[in-house]
Amino acid sequence: MPAETASVSANAVSSHPTQGVATRPATTMPLPGNARAFRVTVISLLGLCVLAPILLIFYQSFLDGPFFTPASKLSLEAYRYILTDAMFYDALWNTVIMAAGMVIIAVPLGAGLAFLLTRTDVRFRKTLEVVVLVPMFISAIVLAFGYTVSVGPSGFITMLSRHIFGAAPWTLYSLTGIVIVTGLAHVPHVYLYVAAAMRNLPSDLEEAARSVGAPIWRVFLDVTMPMVLPALIFATALNLLVGFEMFGVPYVLGDPSGIVVLTTYVYKLTTLFGVPTYQLMAVVVVLLVLLTLPLVWYQRRLLRHGRRYAALGGKGPRTQVMRLGRTGQIIALSFVGLWLLVSVMLPIGGIVLRAFVDAWGQGVNPLEHLTVKHFGNLIEVPSLFRGIVNTVILSVVGGAAAVAIYLVIGLAGHRNQGFSNTLLDYMVLLPRAMPSLIVGLAFFWLFLFVPLLVPLRATLISLFAAYVIVGLSYGLRLLQGTLIQIGPDLEEAARTTGASIGQTWRDVVIPIVRPGLVGAWALIMIVFLRDYATGIYLMSAGTEVIGSLMVAQLQSGAMDTIAALAFVSILLTGVGLGLAFRLGAKIHD
Amino acid sequence: MTLTLKIAAIAATAAFSATSLAVAASEEMVAEANKEGAIAIYAATDLSQAQALLDAFTAKYPGIKIDYNDVGTNGVYNRVISEAAAKQVGGDLIWTSGVDQAVKLGADGYLTQYESPEVASLPSWAVYDKTVYATTLEPIGIIYNKTVLPEDQVPQTRAELAALFAKPEFSGKIGTFDPEKSGVGFMIQTNDSKQRDDYWTLAEAFGAAKGKTYAATGAMRETVVSGENAIAFNLIGSYALDWVKTTPNLGVAFTKDYTAAFSRTAAIVKDGPHPNAAKLFLDFMLSKEGQDAIASKGMPSLREDVDAGLNIKTLNELVGGNLKPMALDASRLEFMEPAKRLEFLKQWHAAVKG
Repeated sequence: MPAETASVSANAVSSHPTQGVATRPATTMPLPGNARAFRVTVISLLGLCVLAPILLIFYQSFLDGPFFTPASKLSLEAYRYILTDAMFYDALWNTVIMAAGMVIIAVPLGAGLAFLLTRTDVRFRKTLEVVVLVPMFISAIVLAFGYTVSVGPSGFITMLSRHIFGAAPWTLYSLTGIVIVTGLAHVPHVYLYVAAAMRNLPSDLEEAARSVGAPIWRVFLDVTMPMVLPALIFATALNLLVGFEMFGVPYVLGDPSGIVVLTTYVYKLTTLFGVPTYQLMAVVVVLLVLLTLPLVWYQRRLLRHGRRYAALGGKGPRTQVMRLGRTGQIIALSFVGLWLLVSVMLPIGGIVLRAFVDAWGQGVNPLEHLTVKHFGNLIEVPSLFRGIVNTVILSVVGGAAAVAIYLVIGLAGHRNQGFSNTLLDYMVLLPRAMPSLIVGLAFFWLFLFVPLLVPLRATLISLFAAYVIVGLSYGLRLLQGTLIQIGPDLEEAARTTGASIGQTWRDVVIPIVRPGLVGAWALIMIVFLRDYATGIYLMSAGTEVIGSLMVAQLQSGAMDTIAALAFVSILLTGVGLGLAFRLGAKIHD
Repeated sequence: MTLTLKIAAIAATAAFSATSLAVAASEEMVAEANKEGAIAIYAATDLSQAQALLDAFTAKYPGIKIDYNDVGTNGVYNRVISEAAAKQVGGDLIWTSGVDQAVKLGADGYLTQYESPEVASLPSWAVYDKTVYATTLEPIGIIYNKTVLPEDQVPQTRAELAALFAKPEFSGKIGTFDPEKSGVGFMIQTNDSKQRDDYWTLAEAFGAAKGKTYAATGAMRETVVSGENAIAFNLIGSYALDWVKTTPNLGVAFTKDYTAAFSRTAAIVKDGPHPNAAKLFLDFMLSKEGQDAIASKGMPSLREDVDAGLNIKTLNELVGGNLKPMALDASRLEFMEPAKRLEFLKQWHAAVKG
């Protein structure tokens, strides 16, 4: 799910009104041409890795069969089928509703949360600042499965509610259910970006409003919000993008009641014809890319011109937080508590319970059926056990390698301007417009048909390569965010004493950003850990990963195993997050 | 008269030489297979279910390393055709519940013909063109929640099933396999539509009762165990037979007048890297030893001599005597035609709309 991860990325930079560097007037840097060979090499290599899968999909969409069968001819038949298929428009409409619904839920809640945690004296602030980020790091498939288990039609809470009240007046397997789940889960994405913008605001305007007697909510609506409007717009664009790419939640929650969105429609096309119809899948992906491209473009523009909106720029005096008062504290904490209950406790609690019971439901007390046998499977069945090991290897080792790659790309774009940088920007953003399921499929083909890559297909390297592309935009934002913190004067100093750009990077830039790299590594680790879509087509015996194993098991309906895997995934994410915070990952300011 | 005798004699000799040939080939094959030292299987069966078979094979042929890929039915199909196109065939044997897909792979020339010596112990419908072999026999059944539906009210025939759907208390509490989202679901539903005149009546009753569809038997199990659904039908009954052993409120049933059954199919991939190991494994799967291992994991056997689990005979008794296996023949290709497929789905949607 590139988009979701990507959405975090923007936040990483957001705190530093970055990329503004490009608009910063004349820092007298040496000519960028000095590292041209390096930049050109990196950008072309990246272009190859990014464009190969995209062009392959694009080409596939204009054929009437799989691109690799000789009988396939150029044809617009696939476009004709999709564009006249009623289900496609259904899926499109559902996608639009889902994305818009997400925005309507996540943006106000995220903004409110940001306001509480940056502009008021709400209690437990330090703890909350960490806890509110948790939903962002749980794999979407785990999250969706967690909701199924707790508040689905046969969920524990649903059962309890029916037992006590005689009814459970909600339907999880509906578009509303999907919208609420995804909306709540993406509150942190909005929070991060808006909070970063709010932290930079001086508090004098708010104080002025307070001094003439405005209640806090009025200050929030009439003073603070308008000042962070650009951040809100950005968060909205971001969430729309995420909504278009979402796969896990609609797949798990929409499937039982037949609700399709574009990404699940792609997946469904596989079974509809009994044999995979790649040309149809490719068409949907091409249309998806065309739909999301304007969002990507708009987002890039917002980032570029971010500084223009910073009306009240400059580091003001230390901001004065507003006092909430006793009632205010209670309201604020209940609001945060309720949200955490619904978006963290419900799904995770459900999974933890489900992983340890083997019977539940009407008239059955699950506590009488506690068991650890589902975990026995994870150890006994080699592929499941390998899945856990591989996931850890890919996250820890692969994460580190990915950071190294992102650093090289980041340096290629560092203090680079002009056309090649625009090119780089788009190349980084492009994969985000493709569902990672399809990125995985494209890489499967590349590793099958490109002779040089063939021996690597059944190794973790093929998965790693796909992961690097899927995590590209997030990873690069993290790295750029770190790189941009270095004042240009340090590099200039090195250059004036005769260092080459290479030496400057090696001896000045990299040592300075090292702590940032470690933090980035921890975050990339979590991103790789939570991925589930990339490996669906790509994994093979020996290269299983937890996330894709869960999707595979979902097809056969082995819920016991899924629950146990989800539990392990949550544990690993917890460890990763703990590590990230210990290593001082800059998730925000 | 003499002519007949002569022919009989020739036939007998031919039969004899064929048998001895098979045995001889077998020894040579083991040696060759051992030389190859490995086999790659593309499967759509959970490893937890397949493990007993793999262990039994490894115990007998320790020199052959098994590389087992559980990639789902579409994964199996996808890999076979794309690897063949790339001339990078990595799989030796497929083992898939996508019967239609396997027959199509055979018809399209992606698989190798091989006459297994075990074929004599199999029913004649269980082999397609000496290429695709049925390896199990899995009945299509019903599961129900015992606390919601008392055992004595469980439908015994298809007609009773339709009558049950008409009862208002079951409205919105019925599940079935989704023909759109699952290849196996599609196969079960289309097979019924060919076999049963009352299929569309049942489908309409299901629709009128606001029934829901699911992409996997396991998913239906969750809803029935919890009581969200009272009953689910046309699902993989062999799984259910296993589940009821550990889940107290879950029941399994089969309609006595008609119980369809499908088979997990195995076939040898053309130009696979370990052709002899593949033949050896296929033979082993079909042998009593292999079938015992498969049956021990809840997948009933095609061989009457299997006793580690259900076999074709005991299964038929269990389901009430009217077991109707889906034959592996060219008719399986009928619904692989896109137009035919979409037509069925259209009809299905119209019927279940309610």
